[in-house]
Amino acid sequence: MAVQDPIVSMRGVTKRFGGITALQDVDLDAYSGEVLAIVGDNGAGKSTLIKILTGVYQPTSGTVQMEGKTLSMSNHSEAIALGIDAVYQTLALADHLDPASNMFLGSELTTSILGFRFLDNKKMRSEAERVLFDRLGVRLKNMDAPTESLSGGQRQAVAIARAVYHSDLRVLVMDEPTAALGPQETARTLKLIEVLREEGLAIILISHSLDDVFAVSDRIQVMRRGRRAGVVRTAETSRQEVLGMIVGAAEEAA
Amino acid sequence: MADTAPRDLQQRLEPYLAIIGPLAMIGLILLFMAVAEPARYFRASNLNIILLEAALYMPMAMAMTFVITQRGIDLSIGSVAALTGIIMAFAIKEFGFPAWVALPLALVIGSLFGLINGLVITKFRVPDLIGTLAMDLVYRGFALVLAKGLVLARFPDLITELGRGRIPGFLPIPVLVGLATFVIGAILLRRTWFGRYSIAIGSNPESAEMTGIAIDRYKVYAYVLMGAMAGLAGVMLTGKLNAIQATSAPYFNLHVIAAVVVGGTSLFGGRAYMLGSLAGVLLLSMMINALVTLRIEFFWQSVASGVVIILSVAFYTWLQKKDRDGARGLINSLMTPDNFKVLKLGGALVAVLLLLTAVGMLLSTGSVPSG
Repeated sequence: MAVQDPIVSMRGVTKRFGGITALQDVDLDAYSGEVLAIVGDNGAGKSTLIKILTGVYQPTSGTVQMEGKTLSMSNHSEAIALGIDAVYQTLALADHLDPASNMFLGSELTTSILGFRFLDNKKMRSEAERVLFDRLGVRLKNMDAPTESLSGGQRQAVAIARAVYHSDLRVLVMDEPTAALGPQETARTLKLIEVLREEGLAIILISHSLDDVFAVSDRIQVMRRGRRAGVVRTAETSRQEVLGMIVGAAEEAA
Repeated sequence: MADTAPRDLQQRLEPYLAIIGPLAMIGLILLFMAVAEPARYFRASNLNIILLEAALYMPMAMAMTFVITQRGIDLSIGSVAALTGIIMAFAIKEFGFPAWVALPLALVIGSLFGLINGLVITKFRVPDLIGTLAMDLVYRGFALVLAKGLVLARFPDLITELGRGRIPGFLPIPVLVGLATFVIGAILLRRTWFGRYSIAIGSNPESAEMTGIAIDRYKVYAYVLMGAMAGLAGVMLTGKLNAIQATSAPYFNLHVIAAVVVGGTSLFGGRAYMLGSLAGVLLLSMMINALVTLRIEFFWQSVASGVVIILSVAFYTWLQKKDRDGARGLINSLMTPDNFKVLKLGGALVAVLLLLTAVGMLLSTGSVPSG
């Protein structure tokens, strides 16, 4: 993966909300089969950056390119169609719907009855079971119960299954995937990230936990006050150095 | 092990609680009436009256289930029903439209009113409560402007059949129409994007937006459906009475909302029970008819409807609570410092009330005729 071209690259991205500049001239490169961690303090611009990548926000200036082609996404669905999806910190689940409905929320499978298109609940259910077990190794006891009755890890598996179901998924953004999980479920989620990396996805991991970041990432991009403070290879850095970049110690010392 | 069995039972019952609630209340009413007034309540003609009354509210309850599931509310349906009824009446009586044109015309006009409601809420960002309350005034005002004090009466057979006709040896036509709308509603809820997204939007609007659901569009759809069904109710009401006037259908909104909420659809969104709404409509009609049969003054109906709404919302909210437990917990939860302060306030108000009553009685000069 040394001399491969990035699958997505963002160049000179700036985002202003009214008078507030959330991002200032930020670059980002993500490669297939690699985990890129994005770290930074609260308000450093991590979430804004990935929301631009996933089409939720549009940049004030700057470009998002995928394999060299400049993208102009006006909403999240267009990003999904291009193979960029995200698993949010809040998981974006509708708690009253069952896991299968949640997995296919926004991209339901349908069947045609008398020329009208209806939701195919049976097929969605069997597909959900298949994806959860085959790709994530998760089996839910009750596929009919509302999603609110599942554990934190199971809910996350449903959210990840939603993203990986699209066979043309290329880039997966994970926003604080382990924030609400216990140690065992965290370990399982990190393993899941490694499985997805082996499958050749480009993973962008946003996390406050340097433990998680050092456990699974290949490169770390540090954000600070809406700018890119630096990018380092995980194997060639230390926690100390990354922490220093997050709080800006290096910059002040210089 | 001993305590897993009942919990399993409770878990298994949980999805059906919404149906059990109204069914239990229907059972109570039946039981009470079987003791109090069996002869008059269970007469075939009276059951027919109950069904005819319920049928009028069925289409609206079906649509309101979607609106409430999306965390919305529509308070304008009574005025929409009256105004569409009056416009249809004018089309037939003043302009000589054939009934088979005027009938779909009413549905389309109702849908347009629903569309306006939806746009007011999604485009102007007026909260649904205020938006539909204000539009209620607008529609009612137009109805009064158009009809003045007139009662428009005597309509073609198609309209009266829809309102009170009957297939011999079978159910009344409006009941069949009402049930048909519920079948359509159940299919919409289970098998279409509209139903699925209505639940998702009500369950978690932020999540729905993040998964790319066009929230505003589906909200507008719900209000259009609501308007169409209110228009249908306007036609059915006109047919049932064979007359319509501007002040018709005054309390449709609260009656329909009560039926839907009693049926277990959550006012907090995401929880839709189509069958519950049907049971709720039947329950309210049976209750009001019971009050009539018992010769209780008409005005008590308003009291009863209000109490039923409060009790069922409180009951379902309690059901949703995750940490509900036994009676000891309930009493403990009442013994908080905050509750003591509220109790003191209540006590003070009652004391002042008693004092004022006593002073008034002491200084009373006998009754004064108000004329």
